[in-house]
Amino acid sequence: MGKATVIPFGPQHPVLPEPLHLDLVVEDEKVLEAIPQIGFVHRGLEKLVETRDYNQFIYVAERICGICAFGHSMGYAETVERLMGVQIPPRAEVLRAIWHELSRIHSHVLWMGLAADAFGFESLFMHCWRLRERVLDVFEKTTGGRVIFSVVKVGGVVRDIDEGQFAEMKRVLEGIKSDYRQICNAFLKDASVKNRTVGVGYLSREDALELSMVGPFARASNVNNDARMLRNGGYAYLEGFEPILDDQGDCYARVKVRALEVLQSIDIIEELISKVPQGEIAVPVKGSPADGAESSNVVEQPRGECYYYARGNGTKFLDRMRMRTPTSQNLAGMVKALEGCDLADVNMIVLTIDPCISCTER
Amino acid sequence: MAFASKSPWVIHYDASSCNGCDIEVLAALCPGFDAERFGVINTGNPKHADIFLVTGSVNERNISVIKEIYDQMVEPKVVVACGICACTGGIFHDCYNVIGGVDKAIPVDVYAPGCAVRPEAIIDAVVQAVGILDEKSKALAAARKGA
Amino acid sequence: MALQTEYLVTALENIEPMARERKADGWRFVQMMAVNTEDGIDLIYSFMKDGVLQNNKIEHVRKDDAVPSISGEFLEAFVFENEVHDLFGVDIRDIAIDFGGNFYALAQPEPMTVISPAQKAAREKARAAAIAKAERAQKAAAANAAYVADHPGAKAKRAGGVIVPSDDGVEEKLKGMDPEKVARVRAAMAAKAKRAAAEQEARKQAELEEKLAGMDPEKAAKVRAAMEAKKARAGADAKEGE
Repeated sequence: MGKATVIPFGPQHPVLPEPLHLDLVVEDEKVLEAIPQIGFVHRGLEKLVETRDYNQFIYVAERICGICAFGHSMGYAETVERLMGVQIPPRAEVLRAIWHELSRIHSHVLWMGLAADAFGFESLFMHCWRLRERVLDVFEKTTGGRVIFSVVKVGGVVRDIDEGQFAEMKRVLEGIKSDYRQICNAFLKDASVKNRTVGVGYLSREDALELSMVGPFARASNVNNDARMLRNGGYAYLEGFEPILDDQGDCYARVKVRALEVLQSIDIIEELISKVPQGEIAVPVKGSPADGAESSNVVEQPRGECYYYARGNGTKFLDRMRMRTPTSQNLAGMVKALEGCDLADVNMIVLTIDPCISCTER
Repeated sequence: MAFASKSPWVIHYDASSCNGCDIEVLAALCPGFDAERFGVINTGNPKHADIFLVTGSVNERNISVIKEIYDQMVEPKVVVACGICACTGGIFHDCYNVIGGVDKAIPVDVYAPGCAVRPEAIIDAVVQAVGILDEKSKALAAARKGA
Repeated sequence: MALQTEYLVTALENIEPMARERKADGWRFVQMMAVNTEDGIDLIYSFMKDGVLQNNKIEHVRKDDAVPSISGEFLEAFVFENEVHDLFGVDIRDIAIDFGGNFYALAQPEPMTVISPAQKAAREKARAAAIAKAERAQKAAAANAAYVADHPGAKAKRAGGVIVPSDDGVEEKLKGMDPEKVARVRAAMAAKAKRAAAEQEARKQAELEEKLAGMDPEKAAKVRAAMEAKKARAGADAKEGE
């Protein structure tokens, strides 16, 4: 009969690039419960709407998180466009969707590298990030930045992608596919990986619904709330879209869902490239949001559904801008998944919710 | 003796960063930029590290954490502030919870600006840090001899 | 099916029944947030089902109002309730995992309720400008009505029309003047006409703003977008004409 001890985990930890503190109440290597403590990344940037006008705030919105940077700038721009009743040209919508899917590929491959590092498979981590460099090269060629792009503005996009760059993008994506399949095999078929992930951190479908989980974390427990089903923006041009679901609900399922989503994103980008309409890439937006106007919007980011809310007050500064990111919604799910696991599995479980603490705390 | 400069080990901490600079720090260690060919290894233990790579404009809660990590590192040690947020607070310098740069909490030796800081700049900064490490190491050895 | 958003206003007492109903009907909890306004704090709870995003707003919550927590029904709300408590100072009772004000370690207590003096000044200025515009529009309408009353034969100009003074005597005077002076006078007349036209435009704009303020916000936004498009087209045509 053991005594319960409290082991502090984080905020500085080699497995997570971000600060997150957990107090693990442990009895003989089994975690009884985990109490999260966040607040290490809270910068208070929602208050910056008072000093940056709605055009300048897009640069702040991008820097909420460097991994989901494009998703936030796109979501913010869409919300303010809804607030002011601006309709952006179709070419801009499709370009935004293409960049967003590329962002999803880079985010999932980054995550897979970190997951491999979490269970000690360092060479797989290096391979994933080597592959990711090719996607970052595409970003650099089309937007000028590797991590933070600043290519979206309220009213459209700032730069265009020409035919030569589209051809280059297709070539790079085809090249990635074959290398990526090898990495997927290592993740999904290797016995040592299966030992560390199958049956670990199980969350049933009822739990996932009860805790309103979002993103691939929920899709691995067979809960489908992918916001791309709503076909907003550039996603309306797709023939059909079915999110990838899995019903096993453990860490292996979450790895599988994200691995397959990369291949799905590559297909989506190729389809959108073939359908991109000609035309202008932005409309000029003048004036300010009306006093008391409100708008809200959801965007499916790599980590899940992200909610945006904007309210105007007649001046060029927004009254309120709110971004609710998927990780804050999944924190309750993480706490539930950590109950009853082994101490050595804490790394893996925390990483499989794909935490983006800087998004959560803004 | 400057053993450390032939193989400097780094420890990385995200002090209220947006993660952009952190993934560029990790990218600098991965194939593509490969700082590991210079002997740089990312360790998680402050007592094993020579160079402390800090990113992010520091917020209230993080001041004690980075002071703690800095105190646990063994002399000679060098601090590199990666990214403009770590240098001066960046775009968040006037947020209510941000103190505005790492040098308000611990002494910084090398500043590497950028948003996000490019891996080439990080490798450049680490090379400069290794030079400073050499000097500090010599000064420490001389002080020990003199004492 | 695209995203549909709804905005409902509800009362503080209705929070617990609302949470229970949504849970029973299978709505998914999306988020909870607060907005700092001049008359108190607005709380917004969002739920989603079948592509409909429903935002329930509770207006003007005061500092000492006790708000019941919904983390009994929706455990994941504890994150948002702690945040709202820390950043806005709203007193939320019975949160499932309560950090007691320590969720974020803040440099300033309740920072989102602090409005800096510069911000206050900017908002006052915008409000004063809007009121002034509306007053000018009213005055112009009154002046037009008076003119029409005095000259029964005259056709009523569209509301807000500017009455331009007639210039029959000016040409005679100009004929006898120094050419430089003539040029200056003509320039001054052109400038005056331009100012008058601009004022007329501003008056029309102010009236339209008033109308739009009274309309449904979505419709207002559509009208505005149509106006922008018209202006853009007019601008493009003018450029081509040059």
